[in-house]
Amino acid sequence: MKLYRDLTIRQKHIVWAWAFLALPVVFYTVIRFYPTGNAILISFQDWNLLGSRTWTGLDNYIKLWNDPVFWQVFRNTFVYLLLGTPVSLVLSFIIAYHLDKLRFMHGFLRMLYFLPFMTSAVAMAWVWRWFYQPVPIGLFNNFLASIGIPQIEFLNSTTNALPSILAPAVWAGLGFQIIIFMAGLRAIPKSYYEAARIDGVSTWTVLWEITLPLLKPTIVFIVVFSSIGFLRIFDHVFNMTTNNPGGPLNSTKPLVLMIYQSAFDSFDMGYAAAQTVVLFLVLLVVSLIQLRLLRDR
Amino acid sequence: MADLILRDLVKTYDKTQVLHGISLNVHDGEFVVFVGPSGCGKSTTLRLIAGLEDATSGDIEIGGRVVNNLEPKDRDIAMVFQNYAIYPHMTVRKNIGFGLRSSKKSREEKNKRNEEVADILDMTELLDRKPNQLSGGQRQRVAIGRAMVRDPAVFLFDEPLSNLDAQLRTQMRLEIKKLHQRVGSTIVFVTHDQVEAMTMADRIVIMKDGFIQQVGTPAEVYHKPANTFVARFIGAPSMNMLPGRVNGGAVKLHSGFDIDVGGKLDAGREVLVGVRPEDLHPNEEHAILEGDVSVCEPLGHETLIYVGTGGSEVIAKADGRVPPKVGERVRLSALPENLHVFDAKTGEALV
Repeated sequence: MKLYRDLTIRQKHIVWAWAFLALPVVFYTVIRFYPTGNAILISFQDWNLLGSRTWTGLDNYIKLWNDPVFWQVFRNTFVYLLLGTPVSLVLSFIIAYHLDKLRFMHGFLRMLYFLPFMTSAVAMAWVWRWFYQPVPIGLFNNFLASIGIPQIEFLNSTTNALPSILAPAVWAGLGFQIIIFMAGLRAIPKSYYEAARIDGVSTWTVLWEITLPLLKPTIVFIVVFSSIGFLRIFDHVFNMTTNNPGGPLNSTKPLVLMIYQSAFDSFDMGYAAAQTVVLFLVLLVVSLIQLRLLRDR
Repeated sequence: MADLILRDLVKTYDKTQVLHGISLNVHDGEFVVFVGPSGCGKSTTLRLIAGLEDATSGDIEIGGRVVNNLEPKDRDIAMVFQNYAIYPHMTVRKNIGFGLRSSKKSREEKNKRNEEVADILDMTELLDRKPNQLSGGQRQRVAIGRAMVRDPAVFLFDEPLSNLDAQLRTQMRLEIKKLHQRVGSTIVFVTHDQVEAMTMADRIVIMKDGFIQQVGTPAEVYHKPANTFVARFIGAPSMNMLPGRVNGGAVKLHSGFDIDVGGKLDAGREVLVGVRPEDLHPNEEHAILEGDVSVCEPLGHETLIYVGTGGSEVIAKADGRVPPKVGERVRLSALPENLHVFDAKTGEALV
């Protein structure tokens, strides 16, 4: 007690600060940093979950480099990212922009758009899987048949399967992005628009030169968040291709699904860990690039 | 440059009527200030003139054209907003240039006009800065600049000084007045600050609850207020109101004194006699009031004294060097020409 009393005010502040920080520090070390470090360690080892770990150096990474499936998966992951992020960004902005101006049934429509975000991804994936089935089961193909258009192999074609899985994933994330965009739109002072009206500039100019530049922080947030989401896509793919996860012929397999299979189907923990390290680096690089590109100058 | 004429302007939101027939002629080159407490309809009137809102009925005429059905950009007006509405992501140059975005002038002409305006407002060296590198007063000038490049017939100012600190406000007040003298355009200026109104306006329009209370030069509204509202609103501290009853040619105040107000009034009528603190001084002769000093507020060159006179408190001005002491009994007098008589019921000026 005496020891504490003799401290200066600044030292007392430090003691208290660390006392309050102790819990989050413990949490972060045990739940976040330890597993991360451990994963990096395992990526240099050979381990099947039960036996002893043996040091293998860079073997896992060399195996990864020479694995054609990995490169296919790597490509798939970026297709999810490069298709999903812009499409969902543009869609959610268009919807939010118009919903913001709409007064009629505003709350109800907003709820409808937000609903998919709250729905379980597994349930959603199974419903969409049913939509995509061939005649006479699938909704879409039934509809196409009724107007005389030939069937489309949604999930059984190597070209169509990935976009077909991406569609519900985009749809599910849309509600959240719309809400964020609408909050961003609301935050722009009305007088900016009134001043533009008096200056007589076109709606198009207002959109490009006032609304979008002022929404930049919102756009950065949504791009970074949805990119991370698409790079980590798993549940939609896994549930819509359960018979042959990531199929057909690995054409829909994302990195996370490959990690899952290496770890819990092949029990090759070292190999799976090496893949997670790659995913971690990809996420890091993509986020840093986006932050730099969209940073306020 | 053009006249601005408002004819029976009415504005209703759903069932609430906020403007009850506003009629006003603003002459070419005149500086008119709308003043009133919040919610009196002064900003609404301005927004109707600007075309940001539609009038429920009545006409707005600018330079001989009825502009009711014209878009704001076609009305030949420019507006300065309370929060300036300058875009944070554009340089000062682009912000000012935005006022000319839709104009058909050539690029050279536009650039020349931007430079001219920047020169008038003395901010040529600020043109390449962003708004967050400017002080409050400079932002204000950018907003004015954006309005000026349009070279409009009428300038509209919506409480442009209320976001500035007191000192800067006084300074900008002067700048806007000088600008008006130099440019000579018609200006409609909205404020809730009566000092701003008095100092800047050629004519003041005092509004309350959607009605115009009085229109006049600063001297007119100060010396000849049309009713008790105007009398109290203009001038600080507020005019004292002393209740009384007309008795012959004089008014007998409830506090006991008889006042000769000059002019014929119906006997027995209940009236309010108004006298400004600056016209009311401690004086033994011609006293109209008597009471004990409750509070003194020294201002240096003079002292405000609060005097309790049988139930009500009046404010008077006393000498700054030898003011009466708190608790002292004083008699207060005012010159007859500085007394204002209002009807007690309607509040209308009688003399």
